[in-house]
Amino acid sequence: MSDLLASFAERLLPVFREQCLWTSFSELALELFDAQRRSNATYRRFIEASGRSSAEVHRWEDIPAVPTVAFKELDLTALPVSERTRVFHSSGTTGHRPSRHYHGARSLPIYEASLKAGFDLGFWRGAKADGENGAPVGGWVPLSLTPPAAVVPHSSLVHMVDGLGSRQDRLGTRYLGRLSSEGRWELDLETTTSTLVETARSGRPMVVFGTAFNFVHLVEGLDRMGIGLQLPAGSRVMETGGYKGRSREWEKRELRLAIARCLGLEPGQIVGEYGMSELSSQAYEQPVVSGWKAADGVSRGFVFPPWARPLVISPETGTVAGEGEVGLLRILDLANVWSVMAVQTEDRAVQRGGAIELLGRASVAEPRGCSLMAA
Amino acid sequence: MNLPNYFLADLPPDAVLRPEMVAEACQTLKRNRERYLLPRSTDSVIQALVEVARLWVNPNSPWRAAAVAVDRSAPGFSPEMLGAGLDAYFRQWTPRALGSLVVQDLGHAQRLDRFVSNDAEMVQGTSAFVRGPDLLAHVTAGSLPTPVMTSILHGLLVRSAQFVKCASGTSRLSRLFAHSLREVEPKLAACLELAEWAGGESTLEAALFGEADCVVASGTDRTMEALRRVVPRRVRFLEHGHRVSAGYVAREVLGPYDEVRVLQAAAADVAAWDQLGCLSPHVIYVETGGLLPPETFAARLAEELGQLEAKLPRGPVSAETASAIFQRRDFYRVRAAASDGTRLWASPESTAWTVVYEADAQFQFSCLNRFIYVKAVDTLEDCLRLAEPIRGQWSTVGLAAAGLRVDELAQQFASWGVTRVCPLGRMQQPPLTWRHDGRPVLGDLVTWTNHERPPE
Repeated sequence: MSDLLASFAERLLPVFREQCLWTSFSELALELFDAQRRSNATYRRFIEASGRSSAEVHRWEDIPAVPTVAFKELDLTALPVSERTRVFHSSGTTGHRPSRHYHGARSLPIYEASLKAGFDLGFWRGAKADGENGAPVGGWVPLSLTPPAAVVPHSSLVHMVDGLGSRQDRLGTRYLGRLSSEGRWELDLETTTSTLVETARSGRPMVVFGTAFNFVHLVEGLDRMGIGLQLPAGSRVMETGGYKGRSREWEKRELRLAIARCLGLEPGQIVGEYGMSELSSQAYEQPVVSGWKAADGVSRGFVFPPWARPLVISPETGTVAGEGEVGLLRILDLANVWSVMAVQTEDRAVQRGGAIELLGRASVAEPRGCSLMAA
Repeated sequence: MNLPNYFLADLPPDAVLRPEMVAEACQTLKRNRERYLLPRSTDSVIQALVEVARLWVNPNSPWRAAAVAVDRSAPGFSPEMLGAGLDAYFRQWTPRALGSLVVQDLGHAQRLDRFVSNDAEMVQGTSAFVRGPDLLAHVTAGSLPTPVMTSILHGLLVRSAQFVKCASGTSRLSRLFAHSLREVEPKLAACLELAEWAGGESTLEAALFGEADCVVASGTDRTMEALRRVVPRRVRFLEHGHRVSAGYVAREVLGPYDEVRVLQAAAADVAAWDQLGCLSPHVIYVETGGLLPPETFAARLAEELGQLEAKLPRGPVSAETASAIFQRRDFYRVRAAASDGTRLWASPESTAWTVVYEADAQFQFSCLNRFIYVKAVDTLEDCLRLAEPIRGQWSTVGLAAAGLRVDELAQQFASWGVTRVCPLGRMQQPPLTWRHDGRPVLGDLVTWTNHERPPE
């Protein structure tokens, strides 16, 4: 059965090279749905338990989506146990069981190809620079505020940052974060500052990767030390969500302005990324959508690459919400070949043209005492 | 219906309440009470209350019509639910029920009027008289409209001036009710004030509690804790914190003779007031060993709820609530995919109703709005053992049983700590004599004076 998935993956690889779909998304999605339904018994049981019949699925929008909580409770993969060589966990709220997205020799090439193509396509466009695809012509230095990949092997974010960095620079990504004794991500401020200063001195543009939470720490630290940096022209920041319950809450806009101030960048040089361990593709913020002004006055929305499509679902009807209506974000990611393509998130979102405005996490609705799942 | 500006809650939404306004209102209420309420007899107060209820149960009543005239798209109860809920509620306001409440709680129908003796007191040669607080302050939770009306009824019976502080955005029906009282007896309405503000407005609350002799509050445990800190020590503080309820269906009624009636009763309890009250069930426990297995009971209950939706639609919910239901349904779909012990039935293309069956009998808090758990239990002992975390919080059990087991099960529930046992289907219709949280409602409000008469 998983031959169906392998042959689908085979046909998907060129999509990432070409960064565009030659077949309609709908056709591919329905084909992958059929293959996943056949190959993934857990997914099949989920569809049955939802009272859905596969016969009802004629449009890609109707493909049954698994909630992210399913990745915590079920092994949602078509990979046999012996092939599951990697697993990525959600950052998760402390005290909760994390999501598990399994990968192996067959799925990793797809994942890698998707994240790299998605970055090339979305990141530099999100903050236009001077190169052909927007990237600086002379290359850039990858720096990450996260702990290194070897220390946090289950972080899909760090895996991504590592892959992007090693492709870019023979020294790979420089990591400035570490893991505290309690397992929290923290920054060594002195090393971070000196590395940033030194790298800046070389004059090469850099990309600083980190979670919003990492940047809160960086900004607070630099402010405390009274240091203001000036990153070289063409530099960028990639900021990704995820500081729930971990640091004092900053308004997104407030944080962006503070990062820009501390690193000597324009706010437009800071690009938001949306990704999760349950997905294989990421969305990047783009200055898009005419006729819509976000609350902070900057009209930017998250855009997925052509092989992943977002849907905003009305929680009341369970169907696709209208343009401009608040709902819950669902993503159909063709690169999720061996897990499940359609993932229902808990993120509140609004569809704005081809982009998604994210409004934050819907309050956690897991019933109490439900971590004990009969498997 | 255009209501005149009479109560503070009638003021336009942009009007700013000041502590002096609250204090002045309280002093006026106390003066009016001296003049209009204290001289009244219990019978005449009961008569006035019955008159008010008559205004509401009349099918052509403008009050009822105004109460059910709601915007069908805004979050809240549907007109059908409001109509059915208010009808059932006001039908209970009979002279007999009101008289019974006084006798039950105070031992004599005229206890509030003068020194009287009941049989036991006569033997002792004593008599007693009770009086209510001068000013009774109510802090209401606001999820349901009727508990506020019941609170006002209690206050009138014990002849207290009353200040009702409604949670913000919840005073609409209380205002209608207060104005209907004013139509029947303006002088009684002059002893009542209604205002609306967000909980925790410390200066307003300080002004109110500074004037009150007794505060009756209902709401979340956190609200109760906050109030406990600010209500002065000299003030009697009666709190009704968070309570939950559940249904219990015994195996002997799970057969062809009773099952339809029992299923309808269960559906009625889930639907009543959209399951938003403390007396609404979170879980319906169904005993194994009957002809109808618990899982089938759940499937049939889902059918009943689907049918009821047509007659008594659930009101629209906020986006947050819809998200909570949506996500919790997804959670149980995942669990159902992993285990045969879980199944889910849900209204198509809406969040109107959800039934989750679980073989695991652990008590579970529902997200309400007609989201019900059906849990299989072998015995009541199993059920109670697994409900240990909510012991002391379990208010009502809606019981469906037959024969000797009715009393047996009721006794077991009572010994464990449940404070109300009623037939399934009547959970949201407590009689006026119901002892809220197991306490005598009038009894907790009043203060007694005993008179030990000299031997003759």
